[in-house]
Amino acid sequence: MRKTEIPVSENLGRGHLACAGCGAAVGMRLTLKALGEKTVMVFPASCWSIIPGFWPYSSLRIPVVHAGFVTGGSTASGVRAALDIRGDHEALVAVWAGDGGTFDIGIQALSGAAERNEDFIYICNDNEGYMNTGTQRSSATPLFAWTTTTPVTRPNENPKKDMMAIMADHHIPYAATATIAYPEDLLRKMEKAKRIRGTRFIHLLSPCPPGWRIPSERTIQVSRLAVRCRVFPLYEIENGISYTIQEQSRAVPVKEYLKLQGRFSHLTDQEIDRIQERVDDEWQHLLRKARC
Amino acid sequence: MRRVITGNQAVAYGVILSRVDVISAYPITPQTTIVEELSELIGSGRLNTRFLKVESEHSAMAALIGASTGGVRCFTATSSQGLAYMHEMLHWASGARLPIVLVNVNRALAPPWNIWSDQSDSLSQRDTGWIQLYCENNQEVLDTILQAYRIAEAVRLPVMVVLDAYVLSHTSEPVEIPTMEEADSFLPPYRPEHPLHTGQPEAFSMIATPEHFMEFRYKMQKAMEQVPAIAKTVDEEFRSRFGRGYGSIERYGEGEAEVLLITSGTVTSTSRIVIQRLMERGVSVAGIKVKRFRPFPSEEIYEEIRGAKKVAVIDRNLSAGVGGIFAQELRASLYSKEERPQVFGFVSGLGGRDITPELIEEAIRCTIEHHRPEEEILWLGLKR
Amino acid sequence: MAKQIHFNKASEMPDVSTSLGDMDWNKTGAWRTQRPFYEDKTPPCSVACPVGNDIAGFIQKIAQGDVEGAWNLVKEENPFPGVCGRVCFHPCESKCNRGRYDEPISIHGLERFVSDFASSLGRKIKKGSGARKEKVAVIGSGPAGLSCAYHLTRLHYEVTVFESSSFTGGMLRIGIPSYRLPKEVLDREISEIETLGVEIRTGIPLGEDLGLDDLRDYQAVFIATGAHRSRGLHIPGEKGRAVLSGLDLLRQINLGKHVRLGDKIAIIGGGNTAIDVARSVIRLGKRATLLYRRSREEMPAFEDEVMEALEEGVKIRYLVNPIRIGQIDGLKRLECLRMELGEKDESGRRRPVPIAGSNFFIEADSVVIAAGEEIEVSFLPRGMERRDGLVLTERDGSTGVKGIFAGGDLTSSQRTVAHAIGSGKKAALAIDCYLRGKDSEEAIRQILIGEGPAISIFRYLHPDERPRSPHVVTFEELNMDYFEPSKRRREPRNPIKKRIRGFGEVTSTFPEGIALEEAERCFSCGRCNECENCYVFCPDASILKREGIFSRQVDYDFCKGCGICFFECPRGAISLQEEAR
Repeated sequence: MRKTEIPVSENLGRGHLACAGCGAAVGMRLTLKALGEKTVMVFPASCWSIIPGFWPYSSLRIPVVHAGFVTGGSTASGVRAALDIRGDHEALVAVWAGDGGTFDIGIQALSGAAERNEDFIYICNDNEGYMNTGTQRSSATPLFAWTTTTPVTRPNENPKKDMMAIMADHHIPYAATATIAYPEDLLRKMEKAKRIRGTRFIHLLSPCPPGWRIPSERTIQVSRLAVRCRVFPLYEIENGISYTIQEQSRAVPVKEYLKLQGRFSHLTDQEIDRIQERVDDEWQHLLRKARC
Repeated sequence: MRRVITGNQAVAYGVILSRVDVISAYPITPQTTIVEELSELIGSGRLNTRFLKVESEHSAMAALIGASTGGVRCFTATSSQGLAYMHEMLHWASGARLPIVLVNVNRALAPPWNIWSDQSDSLSQRDTGWIQLYCENNQEVLDTILQAYRIAEAVRLPVMVVLDAYVLSHTSEPVEIPTMEEADSFLPPYRPEHPLHTGQPEAFSMIATPEHFMEFRYKMQKAMEQVPAIAKTVDEEFRSRFGRGYGSIERYGEGEAEVLLITSGTVTSTSRIVIQRLMERGVSVAGIKVKRFRPFPSEEIYEEIRGAKKVAVIDRNLSAGVGGIFAQELRASLYSKEERPQVFGFVSGLGGRDITPELIEEAIRCTIEHHRPEEEILWLGLKR
Repeated sequence: MAKQIHFNKASEMPDVSTSLGDMDWNKTGAWRTQRPFYEDKTPPCSVACPVGNDIAGFIQKIAQGDVEGAWNLVKEENPFPGVCGRVCFHPCESKCNRGRYDEPISIHGLERFVSDFASSLGRKIKKGSGARKEKVAVIGSGPAGLSCAYHLTRLHYEVTVFESSSFTGGMLRIGIPSYRLPKEVLDREISEIETLGVEIRTGIPLGEDLGLDDLRDYQAVFIATGAHRSRGLHIPGEKGRAVLSGLDLLRQINLGKHVRLGDKIAIIGGGNTAIDVARSVIRLGKRATLLYRRSREEMPAFEDEVMEALEEGVKIRYLVNPIRIGQIDGLKRLECLRMELGEKDESGRRRPVPIAGSNFFIEADSVVIAAGEEIEVSFLPRGMERRDGLVLTERDGSTGVKGIFAGGDLTSSQRTVAHAIGSGKKAALAIDCYLRGKDSEEAIRQILIGEGPAISIFRYLHPDERPRSPHVVTFEELNMDYFEPSKRRREPRNPIKKRIRGFGEVTSTFPEGIALEEAERCFSCGRCNECENCYVFCPDASILKREGIFSRQVDYDFCKGCGICFFECPRGAISLQEEAR
């Protein structure tokens, strides 16, 4: 698919409340273009409890079920069950959860659903922290990043949880990473996921201008650099074992990515080196998985 | 068909006869035989039901919230810790106005670990916006489930059906099991007013600002206020079809009584015998069984006790710092009334300790002998 | 358009918080502090083009597969794409922003492709409707004269071109060898001009058969008689036999006349004429040696031509200055001095300084002097001011004589085809202004490409179409993330052995597929090519498509002014300004 062939349907309507330059709003627009109108989306608590609008308004042009923070995997299981009972097998059920709702509080419900191979697409809209509540650390927050709960005097000490590996080990039919700077790839993966039955997991990286301390116009650039510096490689995992990497022709040092973001502005050269080492190790690890 | 079955089997039959679409549950003693029985029944193809064997009670309720939003009839069962773990989602279900039916097999909350009967688990969910119905025997369990769906779907509020651990859940009694046709004629298929539908781009359970939130809660209260009348109609219809009815409360024992004993659950069965014996000995006593705890049947109870001087309440539960919860609710409901009997609040049988006929008689005697209760909490059967 | 929904009573509200309407009433445009807007800007190639071609425009058309559209676009500004695509020194390419990334676009190759492709389809330029009563005479049928005539015709004037010689094309025909510019290409493009209605009368030299009095019927005259007089070296022996002027020799060769030359030719000079002579005589089976008094670096001939000349066997001796042409035993004997480079002169090049006593001799069968050309002044009307060997004109080509305009090599020391075409076009505009009583300076100012000097006649004709900011897009304003490195495509080149056997074209035109690939390399600086990045990346769905068609419109009701469209535009076609509130 070329960029100019991306569907024109807009199922995220105008007037929504996302911050200027919101990466997730781009991600949502693109996702809905791929998933289409016959989609029911479940929203465990996240920015997306707010962005679509306050009652009685919603800017989403598909049916949406807002749900408890913990419950992405479980609420969606129930929605799917109801639609199946009603004989509506055509409707697609999708979950749109944040990284907190996926990596942290929602991991149990997600794991349960994935283990049962519930028939839905689970999209983790990862902005690497609790951004809706004002930028607190989550287990998706990267190493050494600043957040309001990991101040520069004591930045985040733990590397980001490897959610894709966790999902792969559930042996779900499809898991993929995607990010907004690569819309053709994102749409292809969403469409591929749409054709598969069972639990599909999309790890969608969405830069957050206020939380990452980046100017609003840089959202796409930061998303692109995340891929190019291999902090966030684009890849797919089928049945938990078969890895395909969408390799980038232009790899850049991780410093190029870090230096654009205020949340990393306190980093020392040694810390940058440590991040680079980790990124390199993880990349090698991924390559090994892709080879076997 | 009359069969000798346990309380938990009665639950399972009630669910089957209600033609539940989606069940989502997580095992916990003493609820386990419900999910086992249901699994067997679904496995044998007797039900076109999806049973989601979820990984927690929280997910069990969340899944039902999803399914019920999707417009189908839903059921779950749990106990104790499981119910407590569900707590957040209990609020969600009622706030979303979803007619889910839940069976809670009363069990004490840990620690110390305890798997025996105690109402503290269900009663600590009293503010979640659920209707609560307590059962005395296995027949009532089955019948109440059928009635629960009628009420829930009429007022768009979830219903919790409660039965005692072991005394009912694992004890067999003869139960009249209606036929499917009979059940169908009483409980029509669920026709939700407004289910989720693709092509209908609506957002459910949205955020509401202070401009609107309060009105939604007001409406929830109004729905609760409709329950007594609707439950009464439903119960009367049930009685006309099946010859059995329960009311929101039941008074037993004849004539004017000086002392009224208020109980719920299986304690009532024991009390019936004790009161019968005391009446035979000329003691002026009668009993009230409270079936519906939420909404609390204040008016119905007041009608029965307004002439009495004293009321004894036996609570198999404890709200630490206050006492028995039924007694507390009763006192609150009487405060604005002109004729206010003395309320003797007995706490007994916690963690499954037997509430014996002797203890019940002791409670009645204590109430007769004292002008007013000496203590706010009267511990019954406690090894002091 | 959804409205806001208000509830006064709980009884009016539903039981549950299920949405009832959309957010279209919520005009998030009010959040905006900066406003993006589509603004086509000026690409550096266009600014560098003396003709004023809309380069990014026609390349974009090629990339879209619309070669005919590309041809129409080119022809709006330039009647000679086939000529320019071959012989222009393409200053556009040296300014091409892609040169900062990998290699510049082969603009000349694409221009040539467009011309040849359109001609292979038999495309003709359509003449617009309308007619003006005034008539204009053009003196000289070289690139300046014909360009002027072409544009005047498109401005609906009746134009007659008077040509002194028996053939058209001026220097294009006599000065440029056909291995660089095949005569068919020239004929083709001149015939297209004639088809438009331009009358060309050959064999009528100004001053002899044609006086200004004879042009009374014409309300304006454009003189572009070129520079056809070879400059001498002013050294002893240069008037001798077998000492030829470079231009004369080229004229004979190019007109297909038989030339008598010895085997070993010494050519004095370092300009394009010298190189053309050298390569032409190589093709006649001779040996050619160029003598140039400075070094390679200072050589005015175009780099590519020098390269090709060397490939073909032309010898070049640098820092050599002939001071006398003698003769022994039928051979020419050039006495030369060795030179060294001194201080920079006024042209910015290092001045050659003779090394005393370094005299030496070079022998040759023939000597060709190619030291530049001068204008002929004898026939010029009185009142036309001249300075430094050029006719003086205003920026618009007007001379001191009312109604008489001049251009081309006659008025400029930049003796290139592109400058000549550009000056003819500017004069056409000036004549239109003159005849309509308009201020030509103001008219030129309106249609300058960037800061000029080139102009766009399209914008003169269609002031409201394709508006373009004069801002010239810099490399830094582009987003290189959207461009993968890609080698410049090169025109197929005949093998040297084949080349020197005759006067066939050295290179051939891009095949269509290659042209498309090369066109796709173009950054399209400052010019939206509907890549739709802005549409795809807008978080607020505020880049509008109408019935599925990309509209280059921002929905300011909802645009929050995040700036993503501005930043992600690969080519600087979106601007951002502070929101005025």
